[in-house]
Amino acid sequence: MKKFLGLGKLLVLASLFSLTGCGTYNRLVTLEQTVNKKWADVQSVYQRRADLIPNLVSTVAGAANFEKSTLTEVTNARASVGQVKLDPSKAPTDAAELEKFQKAQGQLSTALSRLLVVSENYPQLKATQAFQNLQAQLEGTENRISVERNNFNTAVQEYNTALERFPTNMLNKMFGFKPRPFFAATTGAEKAPTVNFPTFGSTPAASPAATP
Amino acid sequence: MELLRPLVLAAALIFSTVFVNRAAAVEVIPPKPPAYFNDYANVVPKEKALALNEKLAQFERETSNQVVVAVFRKMETDSDIADYTRRIAQSWKVGQAEKRNGAVLFVFVDDRKMFIQVGYGLEGALPDVTAFDITERRIKPRFRTGDYAGGLEEGVDLICKAIRGEYKGTGETVEEKRAPASSGWGPLGLLVMLIIVLTIIRLGRRRGGYGYTGLGGPFVSTGWGSGWSSSSSSSSSGGGFSGFSGGGGSFGGGGAGSSW
Repeated sequence: MKKFLGLGKLLVLASLFSLTGCGTYNRLVTLEQTVNKKWADVQSVYQRRADLIPNLVSTVAGAANFEKSTLTEVTNARASVGQVKLDPSKAPTDAAELEKFQKAQGQLSTALSRLLVVSENYPQLKATQAFQNLQAQLEGTENRISVERNNFNTAVQEYNTALERFPTNMLNKMFGFKPRPFFAATTGAEKAPTVNFPTFGSTPAASPAATP
Repeated sequence: MELLRPLVLAAALIFSTVFVNRAAAVEVIPPKPPAYFNDYANVVPKEKALALNEKLAQFERETSNQVVVAVFRKMETDSDIADYTRRIAQSWKVGQAEKRNGAVLFVFVDDRKMFIQVGYGLEGALPDVTAFDITERRIKPRFRTGDYAGGLEEGVDLICKAIRGEYKGTGETVEEKRAPASSGWGPLGLLVMLIIVLTIIRLGRRRGGYGYTGLGGPFVSTGWGSGWSSSSSSSSSGGGFSGFSGGGGSFGGGGAGSSW
């Protein structure tokens, strides 16, 4: 009788373990899906920004002798962003990959904010509705980027923490769950670059150096 | 022991001043507003505020879109207005949970800044450009002349116009949907409500500051009356006051703002 009891206990324990194992597995799957979903959101807001750029460039280029180098910088940064394409449906597992992506996007951010700073010197351009609207859209897109990056980081953190916890940490190897890298917190740094105008004299509005 | 007392007092004093200084620098996320139209800065005549409030409540009944207006004296944060107001709108859960169709017009009178936060589900109908157009070219000129009521009314009308066709309403607001369920609590629920009401009244008397000055007295009396005790028909028949409850909406940085 005692033996049976012991066996029963063992069975209960085993089934409990398998149940929790099942539960944690499902939980990890859900968390991983959330990470991927948030990654897709991040990708779509970055894409949104990239889509705005041709319009922005053509609007700005229309302004009388707008500084060409600033525009070229934006166009180049956008092109290099296009080259660092990551799968939008699956969050990257390789930290270096994400870093490369972030770096390209960061360069574009810098180029764009430089363009906005430079445009301060073109009051006529700034007064046009087209430019004002583009600026509002660009700001909105930057806001969305920072929101979705934060959401992504939160999801990754939750997922990574779940992976490291006992007993999940024993299961995750079995099922092949991998921790995901974060976005480094450089949003502030991206937003406020120091701008030097090598081609700009002390008379900004005249801008005589804008020859190709 | 006697010798220690001044020391302890001094320590307590230092601690408390440090604490207070800290608290002053800390960001304040305003609590959920009681109404659709919330004039915490007292810049809009009361009748106007009530009328706009009813207009927005009716708008939710018809379209399920939740549009909230919040006029404050100033921002209590170190963040920029876009980030700050997004987090406020998010914490108020403006909009329905599934449709995420909320929009909040924030105004900070002393800072001379405003921002329209647009929930995920309305970003298509009310894109940043439209939000910017509303604040920059419609509201701003009026605010510059000190016409807050006119600017806000126009802003509300334009926001509603932009998002009207997007979703269908159920004829009831979130607040009204919740009401019947909670009246089923019976005497216990009533008692709890009574305590809450009394506390609000007492709090309102004590500080009268941040919270419920905008719609002050009327909110406590008519608001709870029509919202909770009687049937929903009385609250939709005009004249009464419609309270606001967020439906669980969320915000992702959509919208735009201006300063004047």
